[in-house]
Amino acid sequence: MSGHRALKEKLLLPLMVCLGLIMLFPLIVTFTNSFMSEAEIALRYTSRLTTFDIADGITRRFIDMGLIPQRVTTEQYAEVLINQPSFMVLMTNSMRLTLPVVAGSLVISALTAYGFTIWRFRFKEAVFAVYIVVMLMPLQAVLVPNFIIADMMGIRESHLAIILPGIFSPFGVFLMRQSMKVIPSAYFEAARIDGASEWYIFSRVVMPQLKSTIAALTMLTFIEYWNIVEQAIIFITDYRQEPLSVYLSRIAAGRMGLVFAASCIYMFLPLWFLMVGQKDLKKGIELSGVK
Amino acid sequence: MYRLADVKQALTNKTPPAAFRPTMGRKGWATGMPFLLPGLIGFALFFIWPFGISVGYAFLDRPVGGSFVGFANFADLLTNRAYLLGLTNTLRFIGISVPINLALSLGVAMLINKLPRHKELISLFFLIPLVIPSGSMVSFWHSLFALDGALNGFLHGFGIERINWLNSDLAMFVMVLIFVWKNLGYNMILYLAGLSSVPRDCYEAAWVDGAKPWQTFRHITLPHLMPTTVLALIMSIINSFKVFREIFLITGAYPHPSIYTLQHFMNNMFASLNYPRLTTATTILVAGIAIFTQVLLRFERKISA
Repeated sequence: MSGHRALKEKLLLPLMVCLGLIMLFPLIVTFTNSFMSEAEIALRYTSRLTTFDIADGITRRFIDMGLIPQRVTTEQYAEVLINQPSFMVLMTNSMRLTLPVVAGSLVISALTAYGFTIWRFRFKEAVFAVYIVVMLMPLQAVLVPNFIIADMMGIRESHLAIILPGIFSPFGVFLMRQSMKVIPSAYFEAARIDGASEWYIFSRVVMPQLKSTIAALTMLTFIEYWNIVEQAIIFITDYRQEPLSVYLSRIAAGRMGLVFAASCIYMFLPLWFLMVGQKDLKKGIELSGVK
Repeated sequence: MYRLADVKQALTNKTPPAAFRPTMGRKGWATGMPFLLPGLIGFALFFIWPFGISVGYAFLDRPVGGSFVGFANFADLLTNRAYLLGLTNTLRFIGISVPINLALSLGVAMLINKLPRHKELISLFFLIPLVIPSGSMVSFWHSLFALDGALNGFLHGFGIERINWLNSDLAMFVMVLIFVWKNLGYNMILYLAGLSSVPRDCYEAAWVDGAKPWQTFRHITLPHLMPTTVLALIMSIINSFKVFREIFLITGAYPHPSIYTLQHFMNNMFASLNYPRLTTATTILVAGIAIFTQVLLRFERKISA
């Protein structure tokens, strides 16, 4: 290998670290600024001119996003977590929307995918093709059908209008079925010869082999519903029922320090999932053998 | 991360070897139905049936006791200025952001692929924006791009006058930037998997023949990545509709006309509960996306066959 090429390779890592840090810049700013004191935030995030500015001949001020707080304080977190219970209420709303969808869709998609795997019936692939067509629709395309059925069932204003379609969404079924396909048939046959019931095969033979798929589906559904915006705007009219994902933007105007702290708390769970689950997600993708 | 090879595999019906052979006939019915039934009922109830109703409503003048009006709703919608504005902006956004996103994510994937070590760590950097809730970043984007924001403050240092990033035609580019920032990691994963499947001997043969790096890329890497690219394209387009989240959270319900998307129009129609317009818009969108994805998947099947 020529020296020129070796040098190139040595420079690649620092270059990628720099690119990566640019990607993380918005997060880093949000994180460090959440440890600033209320006074510092007030000073940095205002563009109003003071009498001193005018005296000093400054005609224009801009928001001054600093990376390092003058004094590190957790007062914004204390404010969010202790003094302003409304944040915790909205956070609970997010949980109340997300957890039922995660748990429900996991159960339903595992069962449905298993049914698709073990049973061959006429039009099976046609039925599954419908699942795929719906899966490939953007959210915008299913909102109106969701709204119509919620209206008919009289659950338009309730969280159920968002949770129920989430539980039956086709993505999980698809993911589960594809990973069940690669389980060697010997497992099924051996279990059947031993006289195991279908339920036993499902719960004790198949499910334990799908751990990384289950992990991947859990994370993806959680991330999706934790970041819910469109359905919340349409279905939830009572602001006390709103998830934090929507509300965060409303308070942005006034109390920036508070918003930064709340934003950090809100992004902690999905970030943590990514840290512990990165391997599972990658493994899941490699398993399918993307060509 | 949708697993795109799976979409492909499911649509081409290629069962991998040694797969389980499903039970047929009455025995299959007895064992398969209990597993399948809850999911099928829910899927039909929450997706298929209301979608059928929605298509039906698109041909009625009003949902309750309405009469059949043919394509009048479609004609009405396609001459509605707000709808056309949302539609053209959405299409323009897709046209700009998706190619940029594909090119950049391929570039990043190729660079990461060349790294001798720390691939996992570096790809993590690019994956993180994907999982961050849009709401958590709103205050940052707003402070950066506002009229008196940090970016204008930075430019002020060079004597450049304030630029109205969010409230002018430039807003589209701010949205493209945010979209690419958030979605780069998604296609990067797909491309990383695609790159690892390009046979090594192809590169070795090219190297022996003295091919230039650009020639290797053009004639080996790119053709091998074609199936990945088609599927990444489909997913990028579907994901591009999600940029509404950022637009809405940063600029509110009434943004600058250049970033007024289809979803803004839909929201307004939901607010006034205009069923004919809502259902007609949905029908057009579903038909458009369905035709588009089918054509692309067919094309992909042809090139990978």
